[in-house]
Amino acid sequence: MEGTAHDYQKSSVAVSKVLGLALPEIPGWTCCGSTSAHQTDPLLALALPAKNLIAAEGKTVAVGCAACYNRLKTANHEIASDPQTRKSVAGVVGKDYDGQTKILHLLEILARDIGVHKIAQAVKNPLKGLKLVTYYGCLLSRPPEVTKFDDAENPTLMDQVLEAAGATILEWPHKTECCGAGYSITDVGIVKKLTREILVMAKAAGADCIATACPLCQLNLDLRQKDTEKAAGEEFNLPVFYFTQLLGLAFGISRKDLGLRSLVVSPAKLLADRGISV
Amino acid sequence: MTMGLAASEISGDFAAQVEAESHANMMACLQCKKCTSGCPVAAVADIKPHEMIRMVQFGQRDEVLASKMLWACTSCQTCATRCPQKVSVAALNDGLRRMSVQSKTTSKSAVPVFNSIFMKAVRKRGRMNEAGLMASFKLRTGRLFEDMGKLPMMLFKGKMPLWQPVAPGRGEREEMFERAAKAKGDKS
Repeated sequence: MEGTAHDYQKSSVAVSKVLGLALPEIPGWTCCGSTSAHQTDPLLALALPAKNLIAAEGKTVAVGCAACYNRLKTANHEIASDPQTRKSVAGVVGKDYDGQTKILHLLEILARDIGVHKIAQAVKNPLKGLKLVTYYGCLLSRPPEVTKFDDAENPTLMDQVLEAAGATILEWPHKTECCGAGYSITDVGIVKKLTREILVMAKAAGADCIATACPLCQLNLDLRQKDTEKAAGEEFNLPVFYFTQLLGLAFGISRKDLGLRSLVVSPAKLLADRGISV
Repeated sequence: MTMGLAASEISGDFAAQVEAESHANMMACLQCKKCTSGCPVAAVADIKPHEMIRMVQFGQRDEVLASKMLWACTSCQTCATRCPQKVSVAALNDGLRRMSVQSKTTSKSAVPVFNSIFMKAVRKRGRMNEAGLMASFKLRTGRLFEDMGKLPMMLFKGKMPLWQPVAPGRGEREEMFERAAKAKGDKS
């Protein structure tokens, strides 16, 4: 989240500050291995997350990236449910880990721990008149027995948070449809096909914009929107925000601190039309 | 796709090997096709999820390991979530990917190259470096000009930092990778 998704990081930190939530980083954290690890080496794919969780020293770990969230949760699940796996992972990491460290996505913290009332209280400029669809992607809620995030077919945590910010949340069936994730680089045809479905459905639902909670989903729907438009021969013009950016706008945080400039499909006209000033 | 296998041609060895590698629980499959119905890439896959299970069960090693599906599956977990029998085609595909790359009969795809570059970066730097990753990927796959038009915009928007910090503890990481490789070697 320091690279391509730096605006997600910026806006998450800014929003958390307003809500009185401190987010110190895990000392010496390393990449969790993401998709590449579980596709190539299952033991390493558990060991890399485990190493980070050990370094958290029992404190609750807050996660913004959906893939990291899924990998950390998977490590917990596999290690806690199978003593042999726990032993094998310890053999690779060089330290034992019990799989019990609590892991929460920012949405869980905002909706459940902090609560929508406190969020609503912090709202200075409600996102009145902004019609959006919430796009969760695959990895937050699936598999449900691993992430225990929310309902796997119809999650609502992001809906609750953004509703508290004053936005109009539209119903739509593609909350958790896959965007194609990492194939953005290796097989972009898949991404274009999948994101087209999502963008078409968002438009059909009447959305002004899409709210996301995953760096790769945001990238595929935003950075690649023009590519998808070209391939599909259709126009979408749908700004794709991180939910933290929308929340930040409602809190009155500046565009600069929310990294809005990083958005490829410009939200300027939409925000101006809806009277959402910054 | 192979049609009409004689019972004498079917051996359970491959299935057992795949199950040990993937822990997919594939023998519980009822062929209800719920996985394929929810799969986002089923329409473009050469072997659909429910077919993949069946072919593995029937020992169709060469076809399965050479399939394009292994490199089209996005690991979205929809199959595993919806299966009434707790079979995970996502896990199955992960296991098959590893076996496929090892067997060197893998279908043409840039994904294994990407994975190798990614894991090398994790080993050395402990962190991602998008610019370095993209540069290596382009050089190794020859896809020199794809998306290059986006580069100025990405630089301007801070989406492609040219330098990123390295995580401490390289020695530890190298040891971890060595131990994982050894564990893999011991298994096979």
